[in-house]
Amino acid sequence: MKHIPNLAGLLLLAFFAAFPLVYQGANYDYVMHVLITAFFYAILASSWSMLAGYAGQFSFGHMAFMGIGAYGTALFCHYFYITAEPTGFCTEFPFFGRYFVIVNAIGVTSTTLDQDCLRQAMAVWDGSVKVTPMPVALGIVLGTLAGGLAGLLVGLLVLRLRAAYLALFTLGFSEIVKAVISAEIDITRGQAGLELPALFERGVTVFGTSFERTDKIPPYYAMLGLLVLCLALLTWLARSRFGLFVRALREDQDAAAALGVNTTRYKVYVFSITTAMAAAAGAVQAHYVQIVTPNMLFLLQMSLVVAMAVIGGVENFVAAALGAIFLQILLETLRTSFTIGGIEVDMTVWRLVFFGLLLMITLRFFRNGLIAPLIDWFRRAGVAEETVAKRKEAAS
Amino acid sequence: MGDKLDTPAIFWGVILWMVAWGVLGSIALRRRYFARDLDTSNASFVGALSGAALGPVGVGLLWARTPALTGRFVAVFGVIAVVLIAAAFAFADPDNNCVANGSFVASQITNGLIIGIIYGFMALGLTLIFSILGVVSFAHGEFYMIGGMLVYYITAVWFPGISPLAGVLGACFVAFCLGAVFERLMLTPMYSGKIDRPVEYGILATFGLAFTLQYFVQAVHGASPVKASRFVDFPRIRWPEDADPLWIKTSRGNLTLFETVSISNPRFIAAITCILVLLALLYLLHRTWTGKALRAVSQDRDAAAIAGIDPNRMNMLAFALGGMIAALAGALLVQAFSWLPQVGAIPAMRSFVIVVLGGLGSLPGAFLGGILVGFVEAAGTGCIPDAQKAASYIPAYGMIVLTLTLLLRPTGLFGRRYASGMHGQGG
Amino acid sequence: MNTRVSRRILLATAGTLAMTAGAALAQDCPIRIGALAPLSAPGTVVGGEAMRDAMMIAEADINAAGGILGCEMELVIGDSEGLPERATAVMERLITQDGVVAVGGGYHSSVGVASKDVADARGIPVVFAETWNDTITGDKQKYIFRIAPLSSWTSNIIWEFALTVPGIDKAVILTENTDYGIPASQETQKGLEAGGVASTIFSVDIGTQDYAGIVERIKAEDPDMIITLVTGEAAFNFTQQAADAGIGPLDVPFITGQDALESGTYWTNVPDGQYAFIQRIGVPESQFTEKGKAFAAVYKEKTGKSDVESYAMEAYDSIAILAQAIEEAGSTDGDAIVTALENISHEGTLGRIYFDYGLKKDPSADGKGDEWWHQWPDPAITMIQYQEEGQASTDAAIVFPEAYKTADPVWVTE
Repeated sequence: MKHIPNLAGLLLLAFFAAFPLVYQGANYDYVMHVLITAFFYAILASSWSMLAGYAGQFSFGHMAFMGIGAYGTALFCHYFYITAEPTGFCTEFPFFGRYFVIVNAIGVTSTTLDQDCLRQAMAVWDGSVKVTPMPVALGIVLGTLAGGLAGLLVGLLVLRLRAAYLALFTLGFSEIVKAVISAEIDITRGQAGLELPALFERGVTVFGTSFERTDKIPPYYAMLGLLVLCLALLTWLARSRFGLFVRALREDQDAAAALGVNTTRYKVYVFSITTAMAAAAGAVQAHYVQIVTPNMLFLLQMSLVVAMAVIGGVENFVAAALGAIFLQILLETLRTSFTIGGIEVDMTVWRLVFFGLLLMITLRFFRNGLIAPLIDWFRRAGVAEETVAKRKEAAS
Repeated sequence: MGDKLDTPAIFWGVILWMVAWGVLGSIALRRRYFARDLDTSNASFVGALSGAALGPVGVGLLWARTPALTGRFVAVFGVIAVVLIAAAFAFADPDNNCVANGSFVASQITNGLIIGIIYGFMALGLTLIFSILGVVSFAHGEFYMIGGMLVYYITAVWFPGISPLAGVLGACFVAFCLGAVFERLMLTPMYSGKIDRPVEYGILATFGLAFTLQYFVQAVHGASPVKASRFVDFPRIRWPEDADPLWIKTSRGNLTLFETVSISNPRFIAAITCILVLLALLYLLHRTWTGKALRAVSQDRDAAAIAGIDPNRMNMLAFALGGMIAALAGALLVQAFSWLPQVGAIPAMRSFVIVVLGGLGSLPGAFLGGILVGFVEAAGTGCIPDAQKAASYIPAYGMIVLTLTLLLRPTGLFGRRYASGMHGQGG
Repeated sequence: MNTRVSRRILLATAGTLAMTAGAALAQDCPIRIGALAPLSAPGTVVGGEAMRDAMMIAEADINAAGGILGCEMELVIGDSEGLPERATAVMERLITQDGVVAVGGGYHSSVGVASKDVADARGIPVVFAETWNDTITGDKQKYIFRIAPLSSWTSNIIWEFALTVPGIDKAVILTENTDYGIPASQETQKGLEAGGVASTIFSVDIGTQDYAGIVERIKAEDPDMIITLVTGEAAFNFTQQAADAGIGPLDVPFITGQDALESGTYWTNVPDGQYAFIQRIGVPESQFTEKGKAFAAVYKEKTGKSDVESYAMEAYDSIAILAQAIEEAGSTDGDAIVTALENISHEGTLGRIYFDYGLKKDPSADGKGDEWWHQWPDPAITMIQYQEEGQASTDAAIVFPEAYKTADPVWVTE
């Protein structure tokens, strides 16, 4: 009994790993898309539950770090190129026999207005000169680092803040990030969004099978892999001394400090690790969707992550991840309208009302979420069985 | 007027100087006061202000003398710092409207004051809830939204032709009941100590309410923007009759002071109503038994319980009253702004800023904070030279205030205690 | 469709019999057509709901006339939420989950830009109804068509009209910071500059509610004209607050946002909005085609609105033209529909719709820019004015350009 959760986890993982190869429906790409998005939310929800549930740092700025990761890689891929010839229009440096080009920021334009310097140069070249974009993987790494670094800085700033103050501060941070991205149109293209190259721009070949850039299988495994990696990292952290200290931090900061735990250091660590995870998820998702806009920092998106983690079980990051996957799929399937007693219920709007109600009911009556107690129940049942067995042994 | 500062070097130079000494002052003085075993609660804040205002002189003086850091220091240094920024700005961009155009400045200040009063009033509800329950209500913006929506529905859809007053009262009544019911259904487990982290629970529960309410209204009402018509028309006034310029001049929808500052009717009515209701609220809190009980609970729960006050009822009353105040703000502003299910988000954010600036749980702080935030937004929108960006940054101005307050003085201007509240426990 | 091919190789299953999603559904009745519209925030829901209603009328009309290829036509509505990242997902869903054979509608430009690549990659034809950004057709994609005007054309009408304002020296442009507002404001500024008129651009976030500070700044600029390039309730808020401060449509020549075309909502939200100018796509109701008149009657009855917004008509046409193209192509194959669309002559509510340039003839052959690709060349762009309080937009006077003019503009400054 004790191992049921572990077994179930493995089974689930095997299911998700095999799913794209087995599933045959006509809506294949759409189902894939829903799952990729679900994994994306699962990373956010599980890292947030580590931060909020485990460490007790109730941050409302998780999406801002996701956004920093996404914009980090987007700006990197948008402004830097390597060309074989100097453009003559842009800021450029010789770079191992080629040219490292920094594209000028011109914001949002239409065909009747000026184009950026690289496009002007390319119009002159007419395809005769090779222009190489930056590697996507490097962009993702940089985005992740940027998110982690921002998390480190914010973590340092919020050291003294607790509970409600921390929530408000991070909310404020998130709004500032959003406002800056929306307003600095010259650089970020504001609401119009920055377009990015696909995750695998030139396709990939695995075991002799080649996939095109629009194929869903490579991003599916990339996102699933990232999720598994994050969960593994979180599990390892939670089981190590680090996890113990972080839990101590949540239960009672002062007591933890008195016992000699350097609370500030662990607080900052946990902040930067979880925010880096959010940033990595954001960067991968950005390359998958191929466009980033400041609207993904809408408070609604943050509330979705929070709600997913809560409904799954905020103190258990595996449960939070499962909650996210489950709810994302549910929200997508609930889009279909239905009719009760002659009244048509337009589910595109009502589904979010039901979602809110579910959130409140879970909070009120299932304090540990809906999935975490299941896991716990099996674990505890296992423990009970063991005890009974041991007692029997002792008796005989 | 150009799009950029004429001489940016002056302005940014001064700002850099102030920030550098501010940071230095805040760190140095905190250490100094700590080392001397003095009260450090104010040291970083006053240190930062002294550095910003007087540079090395200010920091040095405080360092040498280490006086008790009273509110007087805050006020003096704060004023000097603001004047310094203003002066640097005036030198850097002498043609800016904020420097050269007196009537423009007067109009912006009036606008900031009026909208500040309304938002301060709204924040009052938030701070009231916090002072009793220890919860930051994330549903505050949604109460504001339903307040406006109800006024529109009552006066324009359900009972056309009814007096706007009935609409406003109806909205307040519904919001009050909604608040009370929600508190009973969702927040009661916080008080018994059954939940290990009540603050977070409170945030999440109100968050769920916000989510549900917003999408409920969207599902029922749809997305078409609505607006209530003006509640009252101004009578025609020319006063004094033969002065030039006229001190007060009104048309049906507008009030003009000295023929330079114009205030629109809906805003004026809203601000006046807010002040009146605020006075009524002060009366309630200070002169009636219920109000005294509320204040007693916010100051010391246990003592209040011993004195025979039922904290549970006070919790319910505070949450309902707080929600009602937000709804009233919305009900008054629906005649000025177009109303949608999403309108709550921005005022909610602004309320957070205001209560943190004023000090969570402090009623006068909320009101003063509201006016300050009104001024900051007016200054930001009015003075930033780049017309393209000035308005785009409106949502950020308040957030910058919030961030700075939390960094320098988490208790806010009038905060009584630096804590996460009592979570409505006791009794 | 390489997705399928690669997967089949990978699996080597008997699934080879299974056709691709589009083709498999092609033989089936009903024939499904996707309808893209923003139906929840942050999208402009007012516009989205109008388009959705119009497209549902198109569905009813087509089915009443016997459907397409003997099949019933079924409209599948996709909510873009005004978010590009949502839009790609919705387009993906419409194509692979719902099996639509073509897509109409579309309101936000950023949504169009993001979702067109998905449709083009899958070979599903799209006729965009109200996305103005030049790049939508400028990318010269095989499956992408547009019946809305180009952003640069609409900007042209705005500044050309602004230059006719008597005694104009200085204009103020208020724009939303989106990919509709920013290029439009820059193009307008450029045009005004060429005509010797200075202008200042103020850009705002779409969610902004309180414009008091901005209105004061605009007042301090003392403009001879105010141009609003903002959608949704933001334009209502700005116009009424400007009116409160004494620089509204009653005080200066004032072009308000396009959502003012739904005059019921406009007059509720902007009671002091008399004499405002609004840009309108399409001819006035008095010059409507028979089809236009019939649609207008049904639309008003169904929605209870006092008039028809131009984007509702465009949305209707985008569905109707697809139905005709499928009928003429005789199949739901994407390529066949594209060929049919390129050679189509459709009598729509907006007039006769056709496409001059595309695979059959590149725009450059006539010295035209790339944005002419699959672009309907003559959407009528007019400037109307609410000359009476409470007027319906279809009754409002057309004041510009000369070709459609029904009345002289009233200049409030004179």
